[in-house]
Parts: sequence; structure tokens; C-alpha cells
Amino acid sequence: MFLHNFIYALKILCKNKVLIFWTFAFPIILGTLFNLAFSNISNSEKLDVIDIAVAGENINSNFKESIDILSNKDNSDKLFNTKYVTLNEAKKLLDDEKIVGYIYNEKIVVKKSGIEQTIFKYVVDEINSKINMSSSIFQAEISKEIENGNYNINYELINKKVNDQLNTKVSLNDTSNKNLDYVMIEFYTLIAMACLYGSLLSMTCLNNIMPNMSNEGKRLSISKTKKVSLILSNLCASYLVQLVGLLILFTYTIFALHVNYGSNLIYIILLSLAGSLAGLSLGVVVSIKFKVGENAKIGILIGIVMFWCFLSGMMGITMKYIVDKNIPILNKINPANMITDGFYSLYYYDTLDRYLLNVISLIVFSLLLLVISILNLRRQKYDSI
Amino acid sequence: MKKVIEVNNLTKEYKGVKAVDDLSFDVNEGEILGLLGPNGSGKSTTINSILSLLNYKSGNIKIFGKKMDTNAYDIKSKIGVVFQDVAVFDELTVYENIDYFCGLYITDKNKRKQYVSDALDLVGLKEFTKFRPKQLSGGLLRRLNIACGIAHKPKLIFLDEPTVAVDPQSRNNILDGIKKLRDNGATIVYTTHYMEEVEILCDRVIIIDKGKIIATGTVDELKNLSNIKEKVTVEVLDLSDKYIEEIMSLKNVDSVIYQNNELFVTYKKGKNNIVEMIDYFKNKRINYSKIFVERPTLNDVFLELTGKELRD
Amino acid sequence: MTVFKAFLKILNRNKGIVIMYTVILLVFGVTNMSTNNSNNLFTASKPSVLIVNEDNGNISKNLVKYFNENSEIKKIANNEEARNDALFYQDVSYIIYIPKNYSSDFLSGKNITLDIKKTDTYNGAYAEMLLNRYLNVANIYQKSVSDENELINKINETLKKEVKVEVTSKLNTGELDKASFYYNFMSYSMLACLIYVICLILQVFNQDKISKRNIISSTNYKKSNRILLLSNFLYSFVLWLFYFIVSMFIVPEVIFSMHGVLYLINSFIFMITCITLSFLLGNLIRNKNAISGVVNVVALGSSFLCGVFVPVNLLPSFVLSVAHIFPTFYYVEGNTLISSLEDFSFINLKPLFMNFIIMIIFCIVFIILTNIVSKKRQKIG
Repeated sequence: MFLHNFIYALKILCKNKVLIFWTFAFPIILGTLFNLAFSNISNSEKLDVIDIAVAGENINSNFKESIDILSNKDNSDKLFNTKYVTLNEAKKLLDDEKIVGYIYNEKIVVKKSGIEQTIFKYVVDEINSKINMSSSIFQAEISKEIENGNYNINYELINKKVNDQLNTKVSLNDTSNKNLDYVMIEFYTLIAMACLYGSLLSMTCLNNIMPNMSNEGKRLSISKTKKVSLILSNLCASYLVQLVGLLILFTYTIFALHVNYGSNLIYIILLSLAGSLAGLSLGVVVSIKFKVGENAKIGILIGIVMFWCFLSGMMGITMKYIVDKNIPILNKINPANMITDGFYSLYYYDTLDRYLLNVISLIVFSLLLLVISILNLRRQKYDSI
Repeated sequence: MKKVIEVNNLTKEYKGVKAVDDLSFDVNEGEILGLLGPNGSGKSTTINSILSLLNYKSGNIKIFGKKMDTNAYDIKSKIGVVFQDVAVFDELTVYENIDYFCGLYITDKNKRKQYVSDALDLVGLKEFTKFRPKQLSGGLLRRLNIACGIAHKPKLIFLDEPTVAVDPQSRNNILDGIKKLRDNGATIVYTTHYMEEVEILCDRVIIIDKGKIIATGTVDELKNLSNIKEKVTVEVLDLSDKYIEEIMSLKNVDSVIYQNNELFVTYKKGKNNIVEMIDYFKNKRINYSKIFVERPTLNDVFLELTGKELRD
Repeated sequence: MTVFKAFLKILNRNKGIVIMYTVILLVFGVTNMSTNNSNNLFTASKPSVLIVNEDNGNISKNLVKYFNENSEIKKIANNEEARNDALFYQDVSYIIYIPKNYSSDFLSGKNITLDIKKTDTYNGAYAEMLLNRYLNVANIYQKSVSDENELINKINETLKKEVKVEVTSKLNTGELDKASFYYNFMSYSMLACLIYVICLILQVFNQDKISKRNIISSTNYKKSNRILLLSNFLYSFVLWLFYFIVSMFIVPEVIFSMHGVLYLINSFIFMITCITLSFLLGNLIRNKNAISGVVNVVALGSSFLCGVFVPVNLLPSFVLSVAHIFPTFYYVEGNTLISSLEDFSFINLKPLFMNFIIMIIFCIVFIILTNIVSKKRQKIG
């Protein structure tokens, strides 16, 4: 009996085009859009070569030397594309936004302020201060020699001394995690959305079998099938369809879009199962608690899920951070964020605490909704149908 | 005779308004019981209450001698219901729909196959097994709706207005099917507001209005309740008022109406009143072209009992 | 009037959707205002840096002071997880950990390795440059100067020398970028709200039964169609006006200027394009259930591909070439053009007008297609 209901519930779900669109096709379409939109973002935020110009004739040779080192294409730290031009040419280049700025007469000219302009200015400052320092140390060394009564100054030796002093190595130890690609969050919100869109499946299933919601439900409820078995078989079917949809989405995002979900498969599966359970229970509670038509319920669910996804960073990753930081409670009770944050912890953190907290939150969320639903369902007869 | 359903003092209210008011009746084994009443008279509410789909305020319902409630699965296994609204899944084909609902009762696959095929035969949907409900016409859809309700060969069948908005061909097919079901030994409760169906089909009729039983009996018994026993219609030109008054005073005549050259006469008693009428016309040398006699319909009975037409 | 009343009823029943998209826009606009560009990586010239200082000495204090002048020092909750989150979401681009006894160790000439964390961005790289520079200068002077105060003075003196920078543009780029951002995002809410409501209303009125009833009713068929068109326009206009009024609160300086007028015109033309597109879609969609699917695919799709959610300069070129088929692309480009306008001579305005014309051409094409589709449909019916 259970199997019979289960198989037919599967058939009914799989042939519902609207549901299949939302749970299978829509996340894939959205994922493709993300991929198109974000494929460049990580690269373009990286430090790129900056186009600049040096205008005029009287250029300090030390300065030119330093700029040339930074503009040398064999230098792995190449920072600038430098053109040597006349002032008028420089102005024209700047107007056409071919260069970020130019230096003329020890003054930098830019069109507007920005990070590239700032770096340009910084490097010029750096070069200038190096030149100043070397000359001041040079002076100091010479005066030291003279103080010591040594008038026969060996300039080469002093030069070497100065260079020794200037050539200090700053040692920094980068301890940041290498998984810093924050675009991944977009794809995590996508998985969250797919999980929660499972609610559409469970909602439809319940609508089909509840006597106060559909005629089919009336027919089922006068059959000799036990209500519990009916509900369970239908929810199992919706859960299965949901998981198949997720599996397709995972396969697509991993192999076609190269999304990184962290390395531990078991944890990914556990999180997906918990997330899908949250989706399922959301559908159950909306189906039972909201006394409106099926289309209105679909509208409500899509609205809720999209809003949650918005808060967890789907339409702008910063949104998630802003909410996390300023109104943490809002995202602590947001299942889309629990899923997103769970994947984020797997991807970014080495410890599991935060991941587990998210999984537990999802399970608590689901159980809470299910308990509410069961309490409502206990009233098995209806005053009106 | 064994009683299949016993309903005692059933009362159901919607927001203080009584939809079913202290209803009591029995259904006997092997009969087709018609529940006749205008729209909104409480027929569907009665059935939904009997099936324990609805909470009711008070009353006692027994089916097959046992108290009916939501968890009475042994009773439910012997019941089949065809609801007023079509209750099939658009996503499944005709065959799958019947197989699904039948499968809720019949677990044995071979037996079920046979049952589904029988149901398809009964409603005449054999050629449409692969169709989706959306592709069926209104009549065919109704037939599918019936097939889904009765495929498991229940002992007790509720049919709630199964012929609403159905073309005449499908209606005849459906009515034939219902008779076959009774002939195969099922007890049937049939609600409708079409009196013709009741007259053709039902062994016994309960007339309901405003949630109350206003009459019970076989079709003939009900018709006998009526004051009118016979109706005669004559087409006659230019009848003067004098004659009309004379006709009024003829034996057994209850009422006379003359309109558009047609004379309607109703009689309180007797069967052969028409002979007397023809004699009267001959004596007075009145020319008449058509004349015919009718027995009263259930509509007339209903009209007399409630003062309104069955259909509005 | 009955048509208009029916229109209002349907609108009222579906107000939830309109409110949702509007709230999303408002949340976006307001957060964008309060975060003050810190999330917009390309106008910030001060990288956000977090310094975890466990040292008490003057040397480390001076380092913090230096970063205070040249970067935006962030205050983050005092735990590693919050710091890591901040780094991941680029709330801070760079984290410097100053160990205990740093100052004294430094003075004694020890070679200290600092732990840092950084993002792989312009800001991160720039922050590292700043740190490198400071440490370099400090190391150099440390070799020759032993007195703490003199050392600090020398360092600061060297770092203080700065080249003069002249900015040629007189635009308030921060505010203008904000305005563009808001107006770009508005296209998403606008598109979604208009397509959803207009499609739904066309669906309801085009349903066979109702449209037949309308045809035979006493109201003239053409007249009721006109009222329907007018109602849709009125609804769109009110929505657009509301979004415009909101923008007055978010970027008032921009709106009450010539730029504001141009934003207004651009968004108005875009609204007309949205209406015509909605009419086309409404005539194409046969199934009521398909509406929300179409809304999401069209609104999200064009927003992602045309630079609403992700700035245009970050989009790969092949995406941008695809984006040319959406009117949103020209709208967004229009906003970008407006934000970079310095004077309003005809030559400068010409590319903007071109975008206007292209959007209007889109309108005309949509209207023609709508007519073709509805004609075909009548024949089938």
C-alpha cells in the first residue's frame, strides 16, 4: 500500500510541469546566469597592470629607473604600462580614459579618485621616499666618514653601505585561507534555493491528499488507506524528487560550472539532506496552515524563499555579510542562510563547529515546522470542505 | 431486509445555519436510494457527514451495523464514492488514475488489472486509457470520475450528482452503468436534482429540502402523495369562459387553465378522466386537435410539498 | 469603470508580489546608502584594514597611526571567526597581527615576521604595499637610529612626504555611483513587478469566457481594451513615481540636479519598454502558472547579464555581447553614461540619446510583435 502510493505520488510529481520547472530547471538556469555574470569577477578584482603616462622632458633619472623596473614586462611584479609622452598627449590620453593618470612636474594628474589612482600615487610616493632616503643616508655616511677624519672617501664603499641599509627584507607570513573566492556564496545560495523549493513538491503532495484542499484528497481520505501511510508515502516521494533535483544541480554546478563545495562528500550530503528536509517541512506547514488556493501557495512559497535567498546573499553577496554582522538573528532563523552558511563553513573553515551548528539549526527548524503541522493535522475532520 | 446505513438525528451547522436538520433514514441492502433535492438542500453535506469527512453537530451514523468514523478502515474498504466535483489527477492517464484509486483497496496486481478493466468496460472508456483527463470531454471526464470511485467493486456506493453537466449520451451510459452495479449486488445512494433520473433509476426516494426530509417512499408512493393524479392537455381554439367554467365543474377536476389556445386540466383522482373530457367536447361540438394525458411528476410532488419548483 | 475596478481588484489580490520586489529594492537602496561604498570596490581609495595589536609599545602604536591615516581601520568583533568572515566577504581587505613585545623586539633589531591575512584584490594588494613601505622605512632607520622617539620621528617624516595629486573631474562620483546603482537595481524590481502584474491581468481578461463576456457586454470592446491599457499604464506610472521618490531620499544631491533629470528620463523610457515587453509576454503566455517562472527568468536573467547585480566592467565580454539583445543593457549603459557626464553639451549627451532611441525601438518592436501574436491568436480562437 505504501509503495503503491509512493510510486503514484512520484508519477504525479514528475508530470507536473510547473513543479519540475521550479525545482529542476530554474536553479540550473540561475546557476548558468551566475556563472556568466561572475566568471570574471574574481579575476578583475585582482591587481592588474595600470596604464599610466609620464609627461614632459625633465625626468629624474632615478625616478625613471624605478618606474622602468616596475614597467618591465619581464618583471613578475610588473605594475605599470608606462608611456613617455608630451603634456598635451598625456591630457588627451587621460580624457579618453586610456590611462589612469599621468605624472608631470612632480605632480600626478588623475580624472577621478579610485583604487588604481591611489596605487599610482602610492608608488610615486614610494619611489620618491626611496630616493630621498638613499640620498639622506648617503649624506649621513659621508658626514660620518668626515667626522672620523677620513677625507679620502671611497664612494663605492659608501654606495654599497647605503644599498645594504636600503635593502632590508620585510618578512610577512600570509596565514589567510586560500579558499577566498566569495563568488562561491552565490552558488551556495543557489543550492539553498533548490533545497527550499522542495517545499513546492511537498506542498503539492499534501494538497493532493488533504480532503479540505482537493477533491482528490476527499477521495483518498474515504479510502481504507491509513492517513499516516498516505502522508508518509507522499512526503517520501517529494523528498526523493527533491534529492534527485539536487543531485542534478550538484552535478551540473560541480562539473560544468566548477563550483567548489569543499572536499568532504559526506558533509555535503548531510547538509543537503538537512536543507531539503527544511524545504519539505516548509511546504508541509504552508500547505496546512495557509487556507488559500494552490497557486497562491506557490506564490507564497516562491516569495518567501526568494526573500530568504536575498538575505543570504543571492542578489549581492555583501547582503549576507551585512545581515550576519548587524542583525545576526535574522539570518540565524533563515533556513536559506543556514544552508548557505553551512557550505561556506565547509569551504572556508577547517573546523566543523559552525557547519554542525548550521546542520543542527536546519534540523531544529524542520522539526519545529513539522510539529506545528502535526498538531494541526490531528484535527482530522473538518467543519467545512 | 438488512440495513446498510442507519442515520439517526443527524444535524450539521455552518456558522449557525442548519444545513442538515435532524435527519433520520435507513438504506436497505441492494437498493438504489435517491436523495432528491434542489441545489443547496443539504444532500452533499449529508453524504460528507455519513462518510465522516465533516464534523457534525449531533447524530448517529452506522454503516454495515458499525459506527462510522474517520478511522473505521474496515467500513471504508467496502465503500466507493463518486463526488460531485471531478476528483482525478491531471498528471495521470485514464488508466493510471483508475489503477491508482483502485490500488488503494486492491493490493493484488492481477486482480487489480481485472478490476480496472471491468471499470473501464462499465463506463465505456476502453479506447481512452492513454488519455490525460485534460484531453477528455466533460462527459467522458465524468465517466472517468465514476470509474475511479467504483473500480474496487465496493458493496456500498455513494454517487453525488454524477451527471451534472453531462451530455445525454454520456448520461444514459452512466445510468446504465449504475443499474449494472446494483444488479451486481451493490447498494447505492444516489443524490441528484434531476427527477427524471430518480424516476428511471431509484428503488426508493428521499426528498430533501432545507436540510429536512419532506417525503420518503418509492416513486409511485411519492406520486400518490400528490393531490393531482392526472393531467390532461388539450389544444383547442377560442374556448369561451362559459365552457371553461363548465369544465371546472366536471367530475374530479382540480384546476383549469386556458392559455394560448391550450387547455390544462388537472384531476384529483381517478384514471380514465380523459374519456369524460372527450365526451364533453363531443356534446358541445367543440373542435380539438391534440389531446394527451400525463401522470404527475416528482416535480409536481415537490411543488405541492414546498410551494416551489425543484429546479430554479 | 468596471474594467478599471476589476483591474484594481486583481492588483489588490497580488499586492504581495509587488510589495516584495519593492522591499528588496528598498533594502538594497538603504543598505547601499548606509554602507557608503565600502562594498563597491572601485571607488574606495582607502583599503579597509584590521589590525590585531597585542603589543603596547610606541612602535606598534605608530604603525596603527600610520594605517589610520592611510586606510580605513575596521572594528570587528574580537574573535578569529568574525575576522575570517570579514576577510571572506571583503569587509576588510587586510589583517595585520602584531605580536606581543613587538616594539621592544623591533628596537633590539630582531627580524620579526608579521602574520597577515589578505584578500586577493586591489585593496588587499594596496594594503600590503602600505605595510611593506612602512616596515621597509622602519627597518632602514632602525639600523642607524637607536632612540625610539627619534626613530619614530624619522619614519613619520619620510612617510609624510607625498606627491601632489590633481583631480581633473569635478563630479561627485560617490553619489553618482550610488544613484546609478539604485537606478540599475530599480530595473530589476520594475521589470518583475510590471511583467507579473500585467501578464496576470492580461491572462484574466483574455480567458476565453471572460473575453467573450466582455465582447458581448454593453461596454465597447475597444473601449474596454483601451481602459485596460490605460490602467496598466497608470499602475506602472505610480510604481515608477514611487521608486523615483524613494531615490530622492537616497541620493538627494544627485536627483535635484541635471543628472537627476536624466536619470528620470532614462528610467521613464525604460518603464515604457517594460510595459510593452509585459504586453508581449502576457500575450505569449497561455498558462497562468507559467507567469512567475517567466518573471523570474526574464527579470533575473536580464539583470545578471546586463550589469544590474554585477557591474558591467566586471562582466566577461561575451556576456556583454549577448546582453545587447535586452533593453535593460541600454538602460544600464544609460545610467553609467549619466553618472560620468560632466557638462551637458549635445556631443556629450549624444550617446545617451542613442540609448534612448534604441529603447524606444525596442518598444516599437515589442508592440509590433504583440499585434502579430494577438492576431494569430484570434484566428486560432
